[in-house]
Order: sequence, then C-alpha cells, then structure tokens
Amino acid sequence: MLISYNFLADYVDLSGISLTELCDKLTQAGIEVEAVTPLNVIPDGVVVAEIRKRDKHPNADKLSVCTVFDGEKELQIVCGAPNCDAGKKVPLATLGTKFPDGDGVFEIKKAKLRGVESFGMMCSARELGLSENHDGLLELPADTAVGTPVKELYKPDYRIEVEVTPNHPDWLSVWGIARDVSCLFSSPAKLPEFTYPAAKTKIDLPDNLVTVEAPDICTRYIGQVIRNVKIGESPEWLKRRLISVGLRPINNVVDVTNFVMMELGQPLHAFDYETIAEGRIVVRRAHSGEKMELLNGVTVELTEKNLVICDAEKPRALAGIMGGSQSGISDCTTMVLLESAVFNASNIRASSRQLGVSSDSSYRYERGIDFNMAEIAARRAAQLICDLAGGEVVSDFFDVQGEKPAEVRVKCNFDHIRKAIGGYVANEEMVDIFHRLQMTTEDMSSEGCTVIPPSFRPDILCEADLVEEVARIRGLDAIPVIPVNAKIVNSISDDARILDSELRDQVIGLGLFECMNYSMVSVKSALSDTRFKEADLVKILNPMSLELAWMRPSLWGEMLASVERNISRRNLDLALFEQGRVFCANGELYPEERQELCIMLTGRRGSELYDSGNYDFYDLKGMIENLLNKRKVLNYEFVAADDGRFERGRCAALLVDGKVIGHLGEVASAVTASWRTSAPLFGATIEVAGLMAAKTAGMAVESVSLYPATNRDVAFIAPDELTHADIVKFIEKLKLPNFEAVRLFDVFADEKVLGAGKKSMAYRVVFRNRERTLKDEEVNTAFEKMRKRLAADLNVVLR
Amino acid sequence: MNPVVERIETALKSAEASLTSAESAAQVEEVRISMLGRKGLFATLTKDMGSATPEERREIGRAFNEGKQRLQDLLAQAEERIKGSGSGEKALDVTLPGRCGAMGHRHPITQMIEDCVAIFRRMGFIVADGPEIETVRHNFDALNAAADHPSREMTDTFYFADGRLLRSQTSTVQIRTMDAVKPPIRIVAPGRCFRRDTPDATHSMNFHQIEGLYVDKNVSMADLKSVLQIFAWELFGKDVRIRLRPHFFPFTEPSVEYDFSCVVCGGKGCNVCKHSGWLEIAGAGMVNPNVFRNVGIDPEEWSGYAFGMGIERLTMLRHRISDIRNLYENDVRFLSQFN
Repeated sequence: MLISYNFLADYVDLSGISLTELCDKLTQAGIEVEAVTPLNVIPDGVVVAEIRKRDKHPNADKLSVCTVFDGEKELQIVCGAPNCDAGKKVPLATLGTKFPDGDGVFEIKKAKLRGVESFGMMCSARELGLSENHDGLLELPADTAVGTPVKELYKPDYRIEVEVTPNHPDWLSVWGIARDVSCLFSSPAKLPEFTYPAAKTKIDLPDNLVTVEAPDICTRYIGQVIRNVKIGESPEWLKRRLISVGLRPINNVVDVTNFVMMELGQPLHAFDYETIAEGRIVVRRAHSGEKMELLNGVTVELTEKNLVICDAEKPRALAGIMGGSQSGISDCTTMVLLESAVFNASNIRASSRQLGVSSDSSYRYERGIDFNMAEIAARRAAQLICDLAGGEVVSDFFDVQGEKPAEVRVKCNFDHIRKAIGGYVANEEMVDIFHRLQMTTEDMSSEGCTVIPPSFRPDILCEADLVEEVARIRGLDAIPVIPVNAKIVNSISDDARILDSELRDQVIGLGLFECMNYSMVSVKSALSDTRFKEADLVKILNPMSLELAWMRPSLWGEMLASVERNISRRNLDLALFEQGRVFCANGELYPEERQELCIMLTGRRGSELYDSGNYDFYDLKGMIENLLNKRKVLNYEFVAADDGRFERGRCAALLVDGKVIGHLGEVASAVTASWRTSAPLFGATIEVAGLMAAKTAGMAVESVSLYPATNRDVAFIAPDELTHADIVKFIEKLKLPNFEAVRLFDVFADEKVLGAGKKSMAYRVVFRNRERTLKDEEVNTAFEKMRKRLAADLNVVLR
Repeated sequence: MNPVVERIETALKSAEASLTSAESAAQVEEVRISMLGRKGLFATLTKDMGSATPEERREIGRAFNEGKQRLQDLLAQAEERIKGSGSGEKALDVTLPGRCGAMGHRHPITQMIEDCVAIFRRMGFIVADGPEIETVRHNFDALNAAADHPSREMTDTFYFADGRLLRSQTSTVQIRTMDAVKPPIRIVAPGRCFRRDTPDATHSMNFHQIEGLYVDKNVSMADLKSVLQIFAWELFGKDVRIRLRPHFFPFTEPSVEYDFSCVVCGGKGCNVCKHSGWLEIAGAGMVNPNVFRNVGIDPEEWSGYAFGMGIERLTMLRHRISDIRNLYENDVRFLSQFN
C-alpha cells in the first residue's frame, strides 16, 4: 500500500521525526517499508513563465513557436503541446536546467527544432514528475508570479510503499498507520475536525431506500442522498494527495470517495441517484446466471455466491468490488447516492477470485472493515462532497445494521507474556502498550487483566496476539540474545538422512559431478526410462505445462537431458550423477516415493588430452564396485542383462544379496544417435534403498599375515562364453591349500592368432600361510592340481 | 717431505683431477671409495701409522686430517656440481599436468543443505523428513491456514487427482513429527517444495527449504532469536547481524520475518540488498496454539518456535548467483566451481 509523508503528517505530529527514523520504526513494528520515492522534486531552473505570443512553426504542423516571458526577458521557445496559448502561465525549464534521466542527467540546451531555434522547454506535469498527465503543458494558476521557481509551488513529499500483512486491515489507511505511528513515537494523532452537513431540507425519498436481503454478508449499509452536486475537477490539494498515493484524479465526487478510502480505510461508492430505478437500493445475492457489465468494461456472469447492490430492477454494482458500467458518476450527475457499507470479508474474497476482478475496494473488504468506521467515513465523505462539489445532503442517514461483531475479550497473564518474549517487561509497560493501542483493560491485578481490543483490530483473539503487540511495540531489537540451549532431544532418529548424505559424498568421491533436476518432467522424459509405462506415472492435475506434468519415475530422463545440454554446449567429457527422490504410481513396481542414484559417463576420463582415453563400461563398473566396497557390501555381483535403456550385450544388472538393485551399461544408441558427439554414453541407475539394506562387513578387522606370499601365473585359451566370473568361482571352489586370491592380469582376443570365439586369459594365483613361509614344493603341488582341473573341467587350452 | 705426506698429496691431486672431470654420481662414488673406502687410501694409511716415530706421526697426522677434510670438500663440491643430472636422466618439466584422480563436485544446493544441517545439528537439532506428495491436512489444515487462504488455490499449489498435493513448504514435516512423537521436539527438515510460480531469475516452481521446530516447556522468542543469530554467524561469519520484523503467518503467532545484514556489502547498501543494508532471509515465529491443538499437544503446557528458509536464496547469496535457473541446468562449467 502507498502512503505519503505529507499525507501522514496531517493526522499525526511528525515534527522531530526524520524520514529514516519513521521508516525504521514502521518496519520494526511490522509495517514493512519496501520503498521510498521522493515526490515533487522539481529541478532548479524551472520557473513560472507567461506565454505572450504563439505562432505557427514554418516547417511543422504540430509545432508552435512561442514568445515566452520568464520574468526577466522574452525567449523564443518551440513547443509541441496543443495548449501553448498566449496568456497562459506554464512551467519553463530554462537553459542549463538538469533533469534526472535514469542514472544520469538530461540538460536543457539551446536547440534547433526543424530550423527554428528554441531557448528552453515548457513542461507538462509528467515532465516535472508531478503526475502522469502529459496531454499538454501544466497550466499554473493565473495569479502565480512570473519568474517564481516552480519548486516553491509544490511542497516536497515522499511516497512510502508499505507491505501490509493480511491480518492487519487496520493499516490499510493513512489514519490507521497514523494510529500506530502515534503509539510508536508517543506523538499525538487526531482525525481532522469537520462538521457533518446534516440535511436542512429533506426531499421526498422512498422509506425503503435501503433494503438488505442478505444481512449475513452485508452487516451494515449506510446510504445518503446529496443533491445539487456540480461535477468538476478537484482542487489542487486533493489531486496532489491522490497522486501522492498512486491514484489518478478523476472528478471531485469520485476523488472524494477515493480520498476517504485512503484516509480512513473505508471504501465508498457513489451512485448517480437519478439512474437508480425507483430510487431504492436492494442488497442481495445475485441470481444464478445474472449478468452485469462492470466499470472496467468486463461482463461477468454471477452466481448466488456473489453479493450485488441493485436498484429496483437489476444489479448496479458488484458489492465491495466494482461498480457497474452504468451506475457511476458522469459529468451531468447532480444527485448522488453515497454508499458506505460493511460486507463479509470471505464472501468478497471468494467473489473477487471467482470473477477475476479486484480493486482497491475489494482489497480492503477482503481483509475486513471496521464496523464503526463506516459511519465516520460516510459523514466525512458527505462533508467533503458538499464542500468541494457544492452538494447538499437532503436525506437522513439510511443505516441498515445487521449483527454487530461481538466484543472480543482476551485474558492476559503478564508472566505468560514475559516467558514468551524471553525477557523482562514490567506489567505497567504492557498495560501502557495496550492503552496506547486503544485497547481497554478490565479486571486488573498483579497477575494479569482482561484486554478488549478496539473494533478495528480483528487480529487480536488470544494471548499469543497480545505477546505480538507487546513485542512489536517495544521493538524486536529489544528481545535479548541468550545462550542457546542445545539440549539433546532424541525423540526421533535421523540415521536415514545421514546415510543418504554419506552415500552422496561417497559418490562424489568417485569423481562425479552432482546434478540437480526438477522433479516434474514431460511424459517423454519419464518414459525414456523403459522400466515404466504411462500408467506407472504420477500425474499432476494442474501442471504449469505439459512439459512439467508428471512426477519423474526415475532420474534417467532428466540426466539424459543434462548430458545432452552439456554436449550441445560442447562440454563433451562428463561424469555426472544425481541422487534424488523419484515417484511411482504402481505399488507393485516401487513405493510411491523412493531415492534413486543415477550415474552418466561419457567422453574422456581425465580433463587432460594427452594422458587419458575415453570412458568405457569398465570405468562405470569400477566406480560402482568402488562404491560397494567403500560401503563394505559383502555380497554383490554383476550379471549380464537385457534392458531397453541399454545396447544389447552391453548391460549388466547389479545384484546385492541376490536381489537386483540396479542396472548399468552403454546407453542405447537410439537415444544418443543425434547428439553432437561420437563418444558412447554409459549410464547406471541404482535403488538407494537396496544399497542401504545391503549386508555389510562389520567394523571388526583381521590382523595381517607376517609371512610372504608366493605367486604362480597361469595362462590359457578359453572359449568366449567362459566368463571371468566363471573362472574365478571355479578356482575359488577348488579350495586349494594356502590359496589366498586369484587375480586377472591379462585378457586378449585376436581371431588371427587364436581363432574365432576364443580369448586368451592370464591369472596370478596367490598362496600364503598365516603361520609360516610356504615351501616351493607345496605351492607347486597345489598349482599343478589347479592347472589340471582347469584343462579338464573348463575345457581351456593351457599355454 | 715425508713420503707418506707425499703420498697423500699425490693421491689428493689425482682425486681432485678425477672429481673435476666427473660427470656422474657413479664416478664421484668411485673416487670416494678409492680414498675413503674400506680398502681406500686413508684406511691403508691408518694401518701404516703404527711404524712411524712420534714426530713423524704428528706431521703425518696433520697431513692426514687436512687431506681428509680437503677430500671431503672436493667430494661435496663435485656432488653439488653434478646433482640433478646424477641419474643421467633429463630434468623434469615440472609444469606438465599432474596425474590427479578425478575430482567430484557437490551441487551447491546440497552443499548449502549440508552446511545448514551441520550448524543446526551442533545446536541439538535432529534431521526429520517427510514425503513430497502430501495431504491437504499436513500442508494447510493442521498448519492453521484459513480455509480460503489463497495459497490453497489451484493457481498456487500443485494437486493430484486424489486430492493430495505437492507440498508447498517443508512445514509439513512439523505436523508429521508432532503427529508421531511427544515433545520435547527439536528438528530441522530440509527438503524439496513446489509452488506454481512462473519461473524467472528468482523464482523456481521446484525449490528447497529448511524448516526448524523446537517444542518444549517455556520456549521464548529470545530462544528463537538466539538460534537464528548463531546460524547467521556460522553460515556467513561473525560480522553478520540479524534483525527480526513482525510479520504474519498462519502457523505462528507472533510471527516474524528475519533479515541478515547484507553479506555482500556488510550493511552499507548495495544492489544485492537494494541499498537497504538488509537481506530478507525467511520467516519464523512462535508456534500458533491452534497448530498445537491440531496435533494434540496442549498449548498451555508446551510452547515452541518454528522457522523456515529458502535454500536457493541462501545459496545464491553465498555464491553471488543472480539467476536461480543456473542451479538446475547442470552445466559442468558451473558445477565445477563447487567442491
């Protein structure tokens, strides 16, 4: 909401309070100042000037050549405004005047416009920053002395933008803010004094001028009739006030309703009474399907939920939100029906949202209107209309009241408040704060009292609300910083979270870059993981777009997209992973939410070009083995697998404790074919829950043998089908005496040398005894036994 | 001249010649052995000393010691001269790239979450978690959000056909935890949240928050302020001041927003803090008695505070990132700047 410093100063004494101090205190009290803009800053050099002569520009139809007197001399000024008529007094920016222009300045210089010299610039209101008006030159009153600096005609002001939280309807007016300023600075605040121009003559009006058919959502409706109104421009002071709070002056009657809304927070509506059928108002719920055209030109179709202000025939205004297109004040209006009403906040909020229409009025009604202010505002507006538009009140107050809001009584225990704030506050100080906030107190004792908030404070309902009042008026800076009570509260355990973060660090330790993608994906991205069908996906009912309409069933699709994005930016060497939550609608497949790990590798292994080759399947597998070993996973194996995401024959399933918990392999070329890289892509997905559940070696370790190992090497030619895992398992199963380990040290396949379907493999077998050094003979015996069994049982040709 | 002394002189001369021309450590070693080795000159001389007269012995002794000293100097000089090319290999280009293991990088959002969690764990907070697909009760009702609160609208929050929603705040974990365990409770809950915000430089419909909740007897606003002050110091350094401002949230009363003095300009005013000297960090407050009632905790007996803040906001401030979308692009040139 916008207020202005000068506007505020009309209601509360601000003498001795600097702008900065004011803004700081407001912010500290919960009325957050978001921006301060200086107003009426008119540069030096702009003076009042009189146009003495206007001639047509010889070379341009739209320009005039004026002779202008600045108080000392006559100047020739070329001007494009339509109203630069001789005799008018206007602002003139003389040569050398500097206007702010973005971060720099714009200086008025002697210029030639279409061949005619010009010695200055006459200004519109917008050019001086006084209003948005740029239709023509700003015309100054005829009695203004020529040569006067224009800045002396306008008092400098500041527009202050404050953020008002939804619980504080009492701050939606200058008077409301003034009340708090008064409390914060202990500076007196008062409403302007005025006399209500009660009707001297009463004209014949229907007895039922106001009928409220929906008293549950219209708790008060005040109508009064003012006649002999002369619609015209508002006086300068009123226009300046409206402009200072961001409103556009329209005409004197509308301006008064807007002014009083800004002043007191009560929205008002002025009807042209002569257009009101039968001269009476009916406040009722709309009929379903009823249509009306609003002031902004939009036609809305109403339902029974919407509250409307009708005449004898049809709706004339959407209650509290906007007038109808035909109800408003026109230039020929002479009789005004002035409405000041209290409508139900939730109803107005719902209608405004349902119909997509909002206004300064609905903004205030949505948050709640002070039942008592409706009457004061009605009187204030009538007084201003009579003063400024020459009107005359010719009716009684038609004040239809429903149920008054119940008085709220809040029990206050001073100790509770002190404990909640966490510092000492004297009872007297609290009570003083309540009183300064216009709350009344009863049942006073040394322990507490009953607090009765004023009608404009609907937010005060319980003791916690009083804590807030005491805290905020004293200032939250006054709350002490005390030693932190870091006590251990073991009500829950965070082990799962710690394990998750530990796993992430282990993956990072493999040299991978962590990625983060959105949880919402397109159906194409989701189904790029071929484990899932559309029925397995969790679909969002109201997505931002179809591209973001499904919850990711796995990290696969967006990780592919991340790889592709990097490649398109020519980042070709990638080692990426994401660890995050994924979603599944098919309970037979996976739980609704689970953690997944996804790894992608492509391009070169190292960043250096001279010393690294491209990633291959075994780099990926090695990383995963590292991870498993780091986590001390006991039983895992990699088994050849067939999975739609990967090239056939280039994919493995990862089994832990006999269960598949992930897949890895070379990503299907159909996916990567169009990418601007020739390097293959390797990917893996692993279920985090599977890793977490894996059986692991305990913390206890074995002591190391002090005796040396003896190695024996064996090489043989084997058929392709015989896997490394088969061979290792075979050798391990032989249970050779003193056997410690078997390690592959060479594998190669060359059709020319070995023939088709054959490969050569070489293993080192390690023997060791924990108690003694082994003798060559015993190792040889064991080794020979192994060679024989290999040749006989595995059908390999020893070399 | 005594013949022994003469022998020393001669041997030294020849050793000097060899050492001056030596090109490798091996050649120097050869000289060292011939002179100082077990069968070298000085060892032999020591054996022969026995037959000399005391007078001769003094003379020989002086020559012996001086000669040995001189030889050692010569050896040292020679070693110094040929050091480096001693192995016969060329000197290394030490500026060639080292063979380092691949270095992984944590995502800056993860990093911020981990740092926040570490700070709060030190202050006795335990990490709690909850699902991202949530019920209206956990996200709104139990948190005292008004039945017609705008954030419940389909325009603001993502819904599913079964009436559930994507949590719009980690405050859901407050309810999950209070439903599950009895006070005292002291938790932080980092996690992903979703809102239907149109993406721009500072808004993402997919973002992260960290929530804090402390429920105990006699918890005060001073406790809240102190925890947040320590958090600010730990995260951004001892110069950071905090400021509380009254605000409004349905689930806390009193509610506050808290600001840090600008971590970029130190509070003097800059573009990042819009020249105010303060950065709006997040919201907090004392748990609203209605929230306690909604989870069956007696507000007469227990009190508490809650706070929540945006991880992206903190991350962007810490690393001076001006566009939130950079965080979700996964460009390795961006990611490699974090470790």
